[in-house]
Amino acid sequence: MIFAQPVIDHALTLLVVIPLVGLIPLILFRGDDRAAKQVAIVTTFVELLVSLVMLGQFKVGEAGFQMTESVTWLPSLGIRYEVGVDGISVLLVVLTTLLTFLSVLYSSGGAIKQRLTEFMAVFLLLEVGMVGVFVALDLFLFYIFFELMLVPMYLIIGIWGGTRRIYATLKFVLFTLAGSLLMLVAIVAVYLQSGDAGSRTLSFTQLVSSPGRFTPEFQTWAFLAFALAFAIKLPMVPFHTWLPDAHVEAPTAGSIILAGILLKAGGYGLIRFALPLFPSGAQQWLPLIILLSVVAIIYGAAVSTVQKDLKKLVAYSSVAHMGFVTLGLFVLNVQGGVGAILQMLNHGVVTGALFLFVGIQYERTHRRLIADLGGLANKWPLYTTFFGIFVLASLGLPGLNGFVGEFLVLVGTFAYKGVPISGLVWGPIAAVGVILAAIYLLWMFQRVMYGTVRDAYKDLPDLSAVEVACAVPLVALTIILGVFPQPFIRIIEPSLERMLALASAASVAIK
Amino acid sequence: MNDLISVLPEAIVTATAIVVLGVDAAAGEGRARPWLPFLTVVGLLAALASPVWWPASGLHFGGFVLIDQFTTFFRLTFIVLAVLTAVVAPTYLRREGVPGAEFYAIVLFSTLGSMTIALATDLITLFIGIELMSIPVYVLAGLQRRDRYANEAALKYFLLGAFSSAILVYGFAWLFGIAGSTELAQIARAVTARGLASPEVVVALALVTTGLGFKAAVVPFHQWTPDAYDGAPTPATAFMSVAPKAAAFAAILRVMSTALGPVQVDWSLVFAILALVTMTTGNVVALVQTNVKRMLAYSSIAHTGYILAGVAALAAGASAGAAVLFYLFAYGIMNLAAFACLTFIDLEGTRGATLDELNGLWSRHGAAAISFTIFLINLTGIPPTVGFLAKFLMIQPVLDAGYAWLAVAIALNAALAAFYYLRVVVHMFMYDPDAKAPRVDRARVLSFSLGIVALITILLGILPDPIYSFALRAAAPVVIH
Repeated sequence: MIFAQPVIDHALTLLVVIPLVGLIPLILFRGDDRAAKQVAIVTTFVELLVSLVMLGQFKVGEAGFQMTESVTWLPSLGIRYEVGVDGISVLLVVLTTLLTFLSVLYSSGGAIKQRLTEFMAVFLLLEVGMVGVFVALDLFLFYIFFELMLVPMYLIIGIWGGTRRIYATLKFVLFTLAGSLLMLVAIVAVYLQSGDAGSRTLSFTQLVSSPGRFTPEFQTWAFLAFALAFAIKLPMVPFHTWLPDAHVEAPTAGSIILAGILLKAGGYGLIRFALPLFPSGAQQWLPLIILLSVVAIIYGAAVSTVQKDLKKLVAYSSVAHMGFVTLGLFVLNVQGGVGAILQMLNHGVVTGALFLFVGIQYERTHRRLIADLGGLANKWPLYTTFFGIFVLASLGLPGLNGFVGEFLVLVGTFAYKGVPISGLVWGPIAAVGVILAAIYLLWMFQRVMYGTVRDAYKDLPDLSAVEVACAVPLVALTIILGVFPQPFIRIIEPSLERMLALASAASVAIK
Repeated sequence: MNDLISVLPEAIVTATAIVVLGVDAAAGEGRARPWLPFLTVVGLLAALASPVWWPASGLHFGGFVLIDQFTTFFRLTFIVLAVLTAVVAPTYLRREGVPGAEFYAIVLFSTLGSMTIALATDLITLFIGIELMSIPVYVLAGLQRRDRYANEAALKYFLLGAFSSAILVYGFAWLFGIAGSTELAQIARAVTARGLASPEVVVALALVTTGLGFKAAVVPFHQWTPDAYDGAPTPATAFMSVAPKAAAFAAILRVMSTALGPVQVDWSLVFAILALVTMTTGNVVALVQTNVKRMLAYSSIAHTGYILAGVAALAAGASAGAAVLFYLFAYGIMNLAAFACLTFIDLEGTRGATLDELNGLWSRHGAAAISFTIFLINLTGIPPTVGFLAKFLMIQPVLDAGYAWLAVAIALNAALAAFYYLRVVVHMFMYDPDAKAPRVDRARVLSFSLGIVALITILLGILPDPIYSFALRAAAPVVIH
């Protein structure tokens, strides 16, 4: 390729910088909606291309970090600008750039009616934070990106959201901030424990290079602080209450990104930092987290069943699906872990798509209550086909992507030899969640799509070209991930094994 | 001659104040007005730059003056804050008809006092500095003398300020009684000999802590703060809320580390508890405020608490002192600028805007709303801003000194504070303006300079190393061994 070597060497830095560069023309052409759309679409598309180039350069089968860059950043503190990707993060980066591009594309099709330039600017800023979270290898850098996602999403929900947007956005920010500030204290504590003054570090690779650095007691509290921040982001029951509010009020693009990427930052943080850094601390809290995961699966599904509002239903289904992620991660075996990562990707694609389609539907009918809808299948064949595929994927139909992740998580759960309650108990309970998902999703689909169509909806158009363009890549991924999961598993597996080794070897060493 | 060179920056600041007054008297108020802030800034920058050509260090004036990195850091901080004040003030002063020359001269004199505190190694120099810093600010608070609230602010500030000075000087008298000398080094020797067990040391310590606590607005000595900040002309509030506080902490660091250094570790728990009470009180009361100016007044009390946590952690070494210095610098810029953002709203008297009066500011003056948001994000402590870095650097020594509970309290307080800071953002961005919304001043200089300051706070949040390594060096003299 023409731009080969320099781009490849600094691909990750480029990914962080490109959206920032896109901000400059946005500021210059502010007020011009057409220009704003074009700039945002081009920027996020270039970003997507660079991330695909990066994926192409990724060496499958290697466990360690690739395309790393490491520069001294704050010499007086020993903090470095350190980025890199491994099998766990590389796919999440591509998912981020893809969903951001599709969200921008969809939003420029008329979904955002006011202050388009500002919307696009905030969205690009959000992308910096999201990509940064998945590539940062220094805890300080990670924290900065983690928090950088906060303000843009706060503005997206608060300015372009629905009627109760202010309540929803403040709740979202305060929940997230409370967790992440406690994590900040833990990060500083890790920094102080990492060595004597002058040799301290927050670099992930250096922190895990000498297991047993942190005392078990320290790990117990540090893990709790990290896990709390990520559990709120994820969100785990009982910290999930901000999620339905935020989703219901957020504009469609905000919901897609919130469900597709922001929640993943929580799961990613657990497997990347909390587990490998504090293995014995994780052991302390493991039974509780598994219990809460299973509760999330059942509770999320049960609450989804009785929802009257479409968006709320998808939001609560996210709680259940993310329960599978934490369950898979904390049974601490390869099947569960790989399943959890796949589940994150699948959930990103499918739930992102579900929110997209709920948004498309809402824009036409201005109704989100299931009772107000019905019979749309008669009028919208394209819409029904796509929406149906995503609903089936979400409920875990074999052959589509949702199945693969949940299946692997369940396999891992059955293999979990936990004390006091083993995976043989948790597995069947979690499996009930899959059945419940079929119930609430199919029932919803039936009520919304079938039956007689109302007069008011008779003349509403089917999907537009832009909407089809947004849906096609997501459908493609849903099928590819469902039919050929093996290439993806091969990318994830070595790195996941490495993280799990860190998470278990050190705990053995301490015992 | 060397003695005079050592205080050259202070001399230049004094001369600038006199020139400002003189130009105003000679040219007449109307013609001089546009030039006064310019003159002030040039004078201040000359004072800042002068040590480059005429450097000085060590003891001067027979031990009354000490020039070290600590002095230099605070000179930089005070001058930066005074420059910012001079840049953001003119819009408001012209609109409200506040005399310009008096304003700038008072700011300069107060800055001179603050700088004097930073070079004091003797109780007498220190006390002169503290009074020279405080008295001009009392005048500043009442500069809009036809406004009822400004009068209340000035009177309250003056009475409580005089009261606290009396307590402080009484504490100094006890120290003199213990040591038979006003030199901080001599006092240190005498205090070491007696230890914290002796009642006279405890009395002196309590009096000095109380006196300086008043100046820095530490709870429970903070009662004057909300009314004084609320009633003073807004640019004066911006200055009052940062420079005297930084000066008070300069005094606390010098006295606590030099004179009372030997017993500091035993005294640190008192500071830790005061820090906890201060930050929590400030934040909780700020939560229920509907007037943004008053809310910022309480928030500045909360920030005093965070800074005090660093004083409590002084035993952790240079990182604690550096954290305090860095926080003072960062807080100074962001808090001053946040108050200055209120001057965009054209309201009668000294009153600050209420939350409702800020509704929809975004659509009425985008640059003002965006700058204000950036400063509020700074104050909340969200990256990538200098405000975040200040908190990060503060938590580190606090944990290192063994005050894990205080570090957790800082984190929880920051989350609490996020609620009221972000509520302002909600009103500016997420509500539509009312029909009776007050006029917004479109002054270009103000929005341009605040925009630059906002960019600087982000830049310093990403590349803080120049300031932080300077703070580390500057903290070396106040490390307790």
